[in-house]
Amino acid sequence: MVTVPAIQTTGLTKRYGHDVYAVSDLSLTVEEGEVFGFLGPNGAGKSTTIDMLMDFVRPTSGSATILGYDAQDEAEAIHQRVGILPDGYSLYHRLSGRKHIEFAISLKESDDDPDEILARVGLDAEAAARPAGTYSKGMSQRLALGMALVGTPDVLILDEPSSGLDPDGIRDIRTLARSHADAGGTVFFSSHILSQVEAVCDRVGILSRGRLVAVDTIDGLRESVGTGATITLAVDTQPVGVEFDDIDGITDVALDGSTVKATCTDPTSKVTLVDRVREGGSRILDIETREASLEDLFSAYTHPVDEPMVVEAER
Amino acid sequence: MSWSVIAAKEFDDAVRSKLLWGLVTVVALVMGLTSLVPLLIPEFDGSVLLGLGAATEFAAMLVPIVSLVAAYLAIAGERESGSIRLLLGLKPTRGTVILGKFVGRSGVVVAGIGTGVLIAGLLAFLVYGELPVATFGLIVLLTAALGVSFVGIAIGISAATATRARAMTLGIAVYLGLALLWDLVPQGAHLVVLGEFPSSTVPAWYILVEGLSPSGAYSALVTAALSANNPAIPGAEALVGGAVPFYAQWWVFALVLAAWTTIPLVLGYLVFRRTDLN
Repeated sequence: MVTVPAIQTTGLTKRYGHDVYAVSDLSLTVEEGEVFGFLGPNGAGKSTTIDMLMDFVRPTSGSATILGYDAQDEAEAIHQRVGILPDGYSLYHRLSGRKHIEFAISLKESDDDPDEILARVGLDAEAAARPAGTYSKGMSQRLALGMALVGTPDVLILDEPSSGLDPDGIRDIRTLARSHADAGGTVFFSSHILSQVEAVCDRVGILSRGRLVAVDTIDGLRESVGTGATITLAVDTQPVGVEFDDIDGITDVALDGSTVKATCTDPTSKVTLVDRVREGGSRILDIETREASLEDLFSAYTHPVDEPMVVEAER
Repeated sequence: MSWSVIAAKEFDDAVRSKLLWGLVTVVALVMGLTSLVPLLIPEFDGSVLLGLGAATEFAAMLVPIVSLVAAYLAIAGERESGSIRLLLGLKPTRGTVILGKFVGRSGVVVAGIGTGVLIAGLLAFLVYGELPVATFGLIVLLTAALGVSFVGIAIGISAATATRARAMTLGIAVYLGLALLWDLVPQGAHLVVLGEFPSSTVPAWYILVEGLSPSGAYSALVTAALSANNPAIPGAEALVGGAVPFYAQWWVFALVLAAWTTIPLVLGYLVFRRTDLN
C-alpha cells in the first residue's frame, strides 16, 4: 500500500505585488501520524502557508496537497477531513458557545455530541450557554479548538494555538495534539515559540522570511546544536603569554580585557581553560557557563547575523 | 445540505440584531401611518387602496434600507473580523456560503418586512373598515420580493468587498442610485428627448426606464395590482394614454426584480470565488 503524505507542498510560493514573497518555494512533507512543528517568527509566512493549504489564499506558483487532495481543486474534500484552529479568526458574538459547536457539527455532518466536545476543550455548561461575544481570549481559543475537533478530523492544523492561553491552556493543547497523533491523526502545529512545540513535536520545520531553513527531528536539531556550551570567565586583567588553541574541547576563545569567552564541546576541558587563564596572570572573578539550547539554534536560523539578536523573554 | 445549515445560522444570528428590528418597527410605523394619509386630504375620496398605494411609496424607499443593513456585512464583515476562516475551515465552499447567506438573510428580511406590512395593513383595516385581501396579499408579496432583491444586491456587494467600510460605501451608493434618485433618470431622459418635463401622460419607454430599478419595478407592479383591483386608480394605460407596448407590461418589471436579485449575487460570487482572504 502506498501511503499518502498527510501534507505535501511542492515549490509553494505566494508573492504579493512584484517582489514581496510571503512564502517562497516551500517544499515540505508531513507524514501521517506525526506532530509537525511549524516554527518561525511572526511574519515568516506560517499563516500564509496554512491559508494556502486551506484554499483561503491562492498560491502564485507551486502546489499543495492534504491527504492526497489538491488544495485548490479539492478544497471541500480537504475541509471535510481537516480541523483547523486558524490565526486571526473571530467568533459569532451573538451566538452561544454551544451553538458554535452545533453549527460545526451540522456543517461537517458529523454525529459528535456537543457536550463531549465542550468538555474536551474545557468549557463548562455555564460558559457554553453564554454568547461568544462575552468570552475571554482563552475561552474563545478553546471554543475554536472545539470546532476544529468536530468530525474527528484526520489532520489537525493549529495556527498559533497558544496565543491568549494561560499555561494550563497551553498544556491542554499539547495533550490534545499528542493524543490526536497517538490515535493515528496528524497535527500541524504552528508557533513562533520553540519551547511550546519541542515537547510535543516529532519533527519541526523552521520558516524564516518565507523560506524553509531547516527540517529535522528535535533530536536531530539537538545534535546539530552539539553538546556545546558557552563559558564566560570574568577576569581582573587580560591573561598574557598563554595560548588556548591547543586545549582539546575548547574553541572560539575571545578576549576583551575583562572577560574570556569560549565555546566548550567537552565539559572536562573547562578546568583546563580556567588553569590556563590563571597561568596568564589573571585573577578569576566569576565563572558562568551556559548550555546551548534549541532556542539558540532557532534564533540563529531566524535572525541573520547582521541583525541584533533578540533574546526570547518568553518561556 | 450545507447551505441550509448556514441559512439557519444566519437567520438565528440576524434575528438577534436590535438594529434590524428597530428598522422593521420604523417600516411598520411609517407604512401604517402613510396608509392613513389619504383620509387627511379632502379632495381624495379616502379609499383603502389609495392608502395602501401611499404606503408602498414609502416602502419603496425604506425596504431597501432594511435589506442593505441586514445583509451588507454578511460576507465582508466576516472577512474583516476573520470569522470567515472558521466558517470556510468547516466544510462549505464559497458558493455555498453565498447561497446560505442569501437565503438566511432573505428569510430575516421577509419575516421582518412581512411583519411590518401586516401591522400596517391591520391599521389600515381598523381605520378604513375594509381591506381587499387579494390585493393586500399581493402587496405583501411584492414588498417581500423588493426586500429579497436588495438582499441579493447587498450580498453581491458584500462578497465583492474585503472590508466593512467599502461594503458600506457601495451600499450607500447603491441605495442613493437605485432607490432614492432613480426617478431622476427617466425624468432626465424625458427632458433630453422631448425637451420638457413629463406631464400627465408619458411615452411608454418612460414607464420602462422608471421601472428598471428594483424600487421602480416594485412601484410599477404595485400600481398594476391596485389598478387591476380598481380601474379608477390610474395604471400604465392611463399614463401612456393608450395601449401599453409589451416592454412596459407588468411581467417585464417582475423580470427586472428577479434580475436585480440574481445578477449581483452571481457577480459577487465570481469575484469572491477567486479572491485571497487575508
